[in-house]
Amino acid sequence: MKHPLGVTINGVPYDRVVESRRTLLDFLRDELGITGPKKGCDAGDCGCCMVLIDGVPMHSCLILAAEMEGRQVTTIEGLARGDQLHPVQEAFIRCGAVQCGFCIPGIIITAKAFLEEHPNPTTDEVIEAISGHLCRCTGYLQIVDAIMAAAEAMRVPPQHA
Amino acid sequence: METKGNGFSAIGKGLPMVDARDKVTGLHDFGMDVALPGMLWGRVLRSPHPHARITHIDTSRAARLPGVVAIVTGDDAPRRKFSVCGQRLEDEHLLAIEKARYVGDEVAAVAAFDEDTAEEACTLIDVEYELLPAVLDPFEAMQPGAPLVHEHLGTNVATHTEFVRGDLGEALRQADAVVKERFSLPYFHQAYLEMNSCAAEWDSEGRLTLYASTQSPALSRGSYARALDIPPERIRVVQCHMGGAFGAKLEYKLHPICALLARKAGRPVKMVNPRHEEFFAGLPRVPMTIDLMFAAKKDGTILGKEIRIVADNGAYINYAHAAMLSALLRHDNLYRYQHTRAVGDLVYTNKVTSGCFRGFGNLQGHWAVESLMDILAEELGMDPAELRKINGVRTGDTTIHGWKILSCGLQECIDQVTKAAGWEQKRYAPKPRGPRKRGVGLACCLHVSGNRSFVPMFDGASAICLINAEGQVRILTGETDMGAGTRTAMSQMAAEALGVPVEWVQISTGDTDVTPHGLGTYADRGTTLGGGGVMMAALDAKRQVLELAAEELEARAEDLVIDDGVISVRGNRDRGIPFRQVTQKAFIRKAGGMIVGTGTYIPNGVSDIDPKTKYGNISCAYPFAAQVAEVEVDEETGEVWLVNHFAAHDLGRTINPLAARGQIIGAVAQGVGHALLEQMVYDDKGMLRNPSFKRYLIPRAWDMPRALTTILVETNDPNGPFGAKGLAEPALIPTPPAIANAIYNAVGVRLTHLPLTPEKVLRALKEKRERTARPEAPR
Repeated sequence: MKHPLGVTINGVPYDRVVESRRTLLDFLRDELGITGPKKGCDAGDCGCCMVLIDGVPMHSCLILAAEMEGRQVTTIEGLARGDQLHPVQEAFIRCGAVQCGFCIPGIIITAKAFLEEHPNPTTDEVIEAISGHLCRCTGYLQIVDAIMAAAEAMRVPPQHA
Repeated sequence: METKGNGFSAIGKGLPMVDARDKVTGLHDFGMDVALPGMLWGRVLRSPHPHARITHIDTSRAARLPGVVAIVTGDDAPRRKFSVCGQRLEDEHLLAIEKARYVGDEVAAVAAFDEDTAEEACTLIDVEYELLPAVLDPFEAMQPGAPLVHEHLGTNVATHTEFVRGDLGEALRQADAVVKERFSLPYFHQAYLEMNSCAAEWDSEGRLTLYASTQSPALSRGSYARALDIPPERIRVVQCHMGGAFGAKLEYKLHPICALLARKAGRPVKMVNPRHEEFFAGLPRVPMTIDLMFAAKKDGTILGKEIRIVADNGAYINYAHAAMLSALLRHDNLYRYQHTRAVGDLVYTNKVTSGCFRGFGNLQGHWAVESLMDILAEELGMDPAELRKINGVRTGDTTIHGWKILSCGLQECIDQVTKAAGWEQKRYAPKPRGPRKRGVGLACCLHVSGNRSFVPMFDGASAICLINAEGQVRILTGETDMGAGTRTAMSQMAAEALGVPVEWVQISTGDTDVTPHGLGTYADRGTTLGGGGVMMAALDAKRQVLELAAEELEARAEDLVIDDGVISVRGNRDRGIPFRQVTQKAFIRKAGGMIVGTGTYIPNGVSDIDPKTKYGNISCAYPFAAQVAEVEVDEETGEVWLVNHFAAHDLGRTINPLAARGQIIGAVAQGVGHALLEQMVYDDKGMLRNPSFKRYLIPRAWDMPRALTTILVETNDPNGPFGAKGLAEPALIPTPPAIANAIYNAVGVRLTHLPLTPEKVLRALKEKRERTARPEAPR
């Protein structure tokens, strides 16, 4: 069965028709060519497919595209403002938190949402926050460092505000 | 190899990875993200039985499903068998013919308009199986009368390896102490997060292009040519960015199956393994059971060592024969043994084919050796660090197997890591009361930087250095970047050699139509050999730039230097000219042609090993490491936590300290997984019971120690580019035995079978209590 779908993705409105069984992840990747969200398990175990739905991080592999009517979806591609990277993205580069990079889009999405709720986190809170994600390359410590560094950067008001 | 002393400009800088910005913005496309116009989606039908005769395949119901374009079975594939590069024992058909040999064996494949249709079509293929008795345990498989996985071989023993040095009997006669123990490791899965994928297309001339995330486009191309029974020159492999590989993605059968489907469909086909199929039909680490014996003098000198290994090859041979050789031989070069004997049997079973995983056999061997070293230290009443230092090889040694150790930081690694860990205090402090006990354990290792015995043709690497009119430098290399930062390290090495900013350099990896033949990234060869090729190519290009600059500056080329993109007479930078002024001149003079530097690095003194005796210097440079784990063990629950970890690594020269630290932390995480969490569990029907991340547990952030001290020891190897040796593989190898040794230090139980789960810890503690209650009972 097919459903009409109106959804806003990274600020761009889309009007499409989707199959009932289509996951949001497959819809993004295979129908819209938005490949930032990755498919690492298709079962909600790895977190590589994390996106923001109305600001809340969710596994796009566990959600049907047809449920997204009227929602705002943000993927990793939607975080930067032009050339200006989000502080979490900047920190991940600077701290060496990126190796192969496959898990990174999902972790950055989670970290962004987490830091907006917890501007002054402890290391243990950061570890807890990303423990729904799998990374096989980095061993996580530089990712934790990056999120702590991003928290600090986000607490400092921009100089030319 | 030339080095520039300490005054480097790009070497030793902790630069972010060259592709980090793409990776944090979602713009970095992996093999799985490739999309070709008009492509179909493919899916494999796999055997649900561990051992079965295929009596009939009926594809008619699947063919009638709307959306299905092509179906292939063994009848569509070449009748010839193939295997991986350098493997003489060719035992595998592209799709099963006559028999399926493990749960996951490829029987048929479908291409359809979308993935769901392809998957549904697979369920509509009717395969008649006649079930055969399966053999799942390698020891049972070696017994007479066991079911044969490959009947025509007449045995399940794929390879038998045996070699002797000196006279073990003499060692036993002279020994004051003899210790022996059995150790084992299960199948460990690489658990790269990007599943295996491929896209294949054929042109009208019958030429195939494969887009695949592969560690070795060149080795793949040769193997896939044999699998498809076409000449290799008709295949182009384009290496896509890898979402992790760790040894698993050297060559993989999904790729030529995808090609077969695309040829039959007459359209491009893309295939992605679902995650559970990665577990059922990947190429996990070779499981081994290892019997190890040391004979030693009272003063700690180890005279002799005997190792016997039975390894599980699974259903088809991949690179397990080479992993076996590593497990038997490599650690003999870490300590100064005089007498050794090694015996290994690699045995077929009806389980998944075992293959390469970071550390490649060497992890298995060191698991046993570094555990038994601590048992010996206790037997002799010595400190484990002291015992290792007494026996450790040193710079200038030629080892018992003929390895030439040109640089060795083992002693310094041990000294630094024990100092950083507070070894003396923590090791010998009285344990507090209460159920939670802490302990520290040490383990060491050595590894290779390239492995001549792995692929017999040659070892070494080539690269091309192109410089365009704008002075932009592009390196073409056949080596690959698994995500560990090879391209970043190469750009730093090229920039250093040329004297230009790192940002001017770009690295293009594996495209078999364009790049030089590179063996690929394995055996820690990327930085040392791949980087060596890059450095030579960059130096060749630099020579050409300086010849042109000499005309401009009216000086001799040998008097010129390039520093931060400015060319000048040495000591006269103020009167220098921009690099781009010279490349512009070259562009005009060559009518648009670029400066083309070519470079080949063939390491000095590396030899093929003798096929019978296994004697020979298999690598140009040997990295060393020592790690100390600090664990906390709960005696009531059996749980073990790695609370603190210290890792000292002799990497020759640090090209990029940020990336080097990342390699060590990531490797330690995999070591934590091996030590405490991971194992593929097969039931007595040959079925894998845990084919998902819910049940195959790899470490999450909370499984890591809060503190991890990394120490980089620079020994400046004469063979490595700028002195660099391998790092990423040895960083994993000492972690599991260090953790086991720390558990022993904490609670006094010796665990010998990975992973060290709470159940095993509790059982060992119970046995220890029973022993203590009856002190007369034998150990």
